[in-house]
Amino acid sequence: MATQTDSETQSSGVLMRDRLVRRVGEFAAGGFVLAVGGLLVWILTTQVNVQLLTSPLIAGRFFEAFLLVVRIVVISSVLSVTAGVLVGLGRISTSPITGRIATGYIEFFRGTPLLFQLFVIYFGVPRLWATGEFPFQDWAVPAAIIGLTLNHAAYVGEAIRGGIDAVPDGQMEAARSLGMSRVMALRTVVMPQAWRNALAAIGNDQIILVKDTSLLTVIAVPEIMSVFRNINSNQLDPWTPLVWVCVLYLAITMSMSQFVDGLERRSDWGSDGGMFGRLSRFSSGGADDADGGRES
Amino acid sequence: MSDPLVSFDGVDKYFGETQVLCDVDLAVDEREVVVVIGPSGSGKSTLLRCVNRLETIQSGDIQIDGRSVLDADVNEVRQRVGMVFQSFNLFPHKTALENVALAPTRVKGLPAETAEERAHDLLDRVGLADQTDSYPGALSGGQQQRVAIARALAMEPTVMLFDEVTSALDPELVGEVLDVIEGLATEGMTMLLVTHEMGFAREVGDRIVLMADGRIVERTPTRDFFEEPDTERGRQFLSRLL
Repeated sequence: MATQTDSETQSSGVLMRDRLVRRVGEFAAGGFVLAVGGLLVWILTTQVNVQLLTSPLIAGRFFEAFLLVVRIVVISSVLSVTAGVLVGLGRISTSPITGRIATGYIEFFRGTPLLFQLFVIYFGVPRLWATGEFPFQDWAVPAAIIGLTLNHAAYVGEAIRGGIDAVPDGQMEAARSLGMSRVMALRTVVMPQAWRNALAAIGNDQIILVKDTSLLTVIAVPEIMSVFRNINSNQLDPWTPLVWVCVLYLAITMSMSQFVDGLERRSDWGSDGGMFGRLSRFSSGGADDADGGRES
Repeated sequence: MSDPLVSFDGVDKYFGETQVLCDVDLAVDEREVVVVIGPSGSGKSTLLRCVNRLETIQSGDIQIDGRSVLDADVNEVRQRVGMVFQSFNLFPHKTALENVALAPTRVKGLPAETAEERAHDLLDRVGLADQTDSYPGALSGGQQQRVAIARALAMEPTVMLFDEVTSALDPELVGEVLDVIEGLATEGMTMLLVTHEMGFAREVGDRIVLMADGRIVERTPTRDFFEEPDTERGRQFLSRLL
């Protein structure tokens, strides 16, 4: 404080430079937005055929594809998160066999392309039966759900393991010191915290899962990209169906992030103990009561 | 003379190659408060953690109520031993009340209402009747540690272990926690506690156990220890504190 004037002149120099950098940044950002916005407006006005865009035939086909994708996403999400929790638990298992199996599983499904995995399931698996014996008539959608589930369970599993690792060891020690078994301590003390820790990463992965459905076009699932390819090759007009594609994917991914935000807020038992705390108590308390709460 | 409540008999404990407990013998009588002191790394905390088998010992025996903890069911042993940690370790996703009521409902199978009623009483006893619905994150360190004590008491343990429970607290919050422990001592709870608070050790301890390099080098009734330690090690330790 003694050299106040000194540091003031010094910091005013720094301040000037900071302000300049910020101005340049604002200018660049503004210019970028203007350029992209202008390009978008130009494309929408010159390239997009509004009549085609709103024609019931195209809207209907996209809507059908949209419903199919939503169904695939919902089923694969639930299955992959459930399986991912098991994979994550496998990773921290005290049994070396379980641990190694979980690690191998993650290595394989993260280490090979999803497209390869889809090919194995869609083309490869039916060939394991004699010709005409394979029980599924329409294998594309089940194969898609299996592929997405197996692939994303690996990512969710890693997120869960990270979430478990981030829970301090003292939590397990405290729970065990009260006489809880390891399983009970994991379930009632460690996993709720691990889940909270992993939520952001899981949400991120599930949004990628939504976008991964676009790969299903190559195994003949009539999803959104397939409809685009169809319309594009019939009408020789890429931009009009692309608008649909963009809007539909954003509709799913944005609802997904809203949902994850909601979950995060609900399990925020943060430092205020206020509304979020009460909400989370309400929800977790309900779940605790529901399973009767006895296990020894 | 009645049998001791907790007894260590020739306990050896290694971390890898290093021996952290060396032929430890110690008997804690019922209603007795034994304070373990000593320089850091002398094995005080490890000694405590062996009682409820958070650490495994390599040889020797530890008995509670005449029964060895080694061949008993570990979860059953831990229900009889309350433990309070330096870093509180409250469950952050549970309210103070839920922290206290959790183990009685889950482990002992008490009905939720009974457990919560008792949790209320226990929180009241540690002076936190008005914080039952607070999450640990909203409590001060001293309050959190008092909840942790209530949580351990909820299992109605026969002996309580306190592992440097005031070391992580701001100085002005130490008093409220020590008051609670002192209250327990007056009520006749058997306690084994590790602390650096010599004033507190003097006030609450019936006996002082001084450890160095994994060995118990002195065990003396509290008043005698602070007036005239039996050993040179004891004198050195005390003189360094002054």
